[in-house]
Amino acid sequence: MIGVLGAGTVGAVNNIGRFARFVWQSTIASFRSCLNPHTYSLIWTQMYIIGVRSVPVVMITGAFVGMTLAVQAYDQLAGMGLEEHLGVLINISVVKELGPVLAAVMLAGRIGGALTAELGTMNVTEQIDAVRSMGTDPIRYLAAPRVLACLLLTPFLIIFADLMGIIGGYFVSVVTLGINSRAYWSFSASGVELWDVAIGVIKGFFFGVALASISCYKGFTCKEGARGVGQACTEAFVSSFISILALDFALAVIFKSIYNTFWPLKSLV
Amino acid sequence: MKQDHEQDSTQGSRDDSVITLKGVTKKFGGKTVLDNVSLGIQKGRTTVVIGPSGCGKTVLIKHLIVLLRPSSGEVYYRDRRIDNLDEHELNKVRTHYGFLFQGGALFDSLSVTENIIFPIRQHCEIQDWTQVEDLVRSKLAMVGLDGFQNYFPANLSGGQRKRVALARAIALNPEVILYDEPTTGLDPIHSDVISELILKLQRELGVTSVVVTHDMTMAYKAANRIIMLHNGKIIADGDAKHIRNHPHPTVQQFINGQASEDELAVLRMKGTVSQAQFLPRDFK
Repeated sequence: MIGVLGAGTVGAVNNIGRFARFVWQSTIASFRSCLNPHTYSLIWTQMYIIGVRSVPVVMITGAFVGMTLAVQAYDQLAGMGLEEHLGVLINISVVKELGPVLAAVMLAGRIGGALTAELGTMNVTEQIDAVRSMGTDPIRYLAAPRVLACLLLTPFLIIFADLMGIIGGYFVSVVTLGINSRAYWSFSASGVELWDVAIGVIKGFFFGVALASISCYKGFTCKEGARGVGQACTEAFVSSFISILALDFALAVIFKSIYNTFWPLKSLV
Repeated sequence: MKQDHEQDSTQGSRDDSVITLKGVTKKFGGKTVLDNVSLGIQKGRTTVVIGPSGCGKTVLIKHLIVLLRPSSGEVYYRDRRIDNLDEHELNKVRTHYGFLFQGGALFDSLSVTENIIFPIRQHCEIQDWTQVEDLVRSKLAMVGLDGFQNYFPANLSGGQRKRVALARAIALNPEVILYDEPTTGLDPIHSDVISELILKLQRELGVTSVVVTHDMTMAYKAANRIIMLHNGKIIADGDAKHIRNHPHPTVQQFINGQASEDELAVLRMKGTVSQAQFLPRDFK
């Protein structure tokens, strides 16, 4: 029993150590890639695959988040005669929390799975060893462009999700539920600050790096065979999902502290 | 057997050795795959490593380029110890090598041309693309595949993939080429083509080759020196004639393709060959 527990602990610590080392190497390689124009074509390719092709899926996610929020919150606010405040509730929820988190989770499924499957297959078919055998660092060639693409594009994708969430919420609130359009926007404008939008977008950088690093790491370390690749994809999604939620919590605490430090009175108004 | 080890260590210390392994042991978990192997790979010669499946041949060849690091022991490229270098330094050393992987390991998303120019793009400043195209054409012509420049790996047969992988391995004119099971999965004719290619590269480019295989036809044809690995140890080392006449029963059994009495005894056990114990679902 103690032996099993000890072995499990040692294994977990080893894994964390290997992952930390991988993240460190990816970070160094990403900085070097930024300074080397020869690698820009690799980054552009990944930006197209990761970013451009994810736009529809992220926009659909955002739109449904906004619409669902409107439907769910309307009855409660209408019961108190506050239905015109629906815009604040929807828009602040979308830009601050639900837009970034759900867009990132969607990306973890779409991109994370694909990255892990691609790199995992390259690993089991010795393509990663082939890169190494030709004197090229696979982290620089394979992981860094993917990490950079996710880092740079996740915030933009979150903006798309936010935009569609706002439009979706507006459509249901004003067109379907008949809330006054001017009042809807007026309350939204007074309740949602640039800070709220910025928080959501800044979270995107962290989410992007987290999901790319985890997915690449799982691909690089996946076990032999189809089962190994499948297992790595599952682990990559679950780990990315949990880390997105954990990061969201940590960042919420940090941003709240920062906000309270700089605008202590405003938050009380 | 003792005599073989003495011979082996002598060869490992020869001055013309390009790569030298000194007392290399490799363990995966509790399993020892290479056990105190010492070996010198001589310049300009073709060394063939034979042995049954799972005896550590691929692990051995990966140590020569330090794709795997030894649990103990040392690896030298020329006079420089390389098993303790960091990856950045190792990558510089690896540009002197070409490696043909068992399955080819071509990049699926790149065309044949892009695969071949991969190492060139990584290590050379390309000024003139027509020169690169000529180089790709010449490398493909060398492996008999000129005209396949725009194909993707998915559109090639197993033999063609291996030949393209070989063209990629020689793109930077390496000093040493390592072949991991180059004829596995190929028909005898294509296996012979690969053997001829290895000889041609040795003749025309003067490269040092290390071939891991269990194809004895190829071993006899291409080898200047044959090494047999068994249970992680070198049990025979010499030229084709020496190996043919080697007294070790395992060597004779392997080169003649004969199963041992123990292995055959398993087949003679009652019930080993199915007596229709499991009937099909629709059997009536």
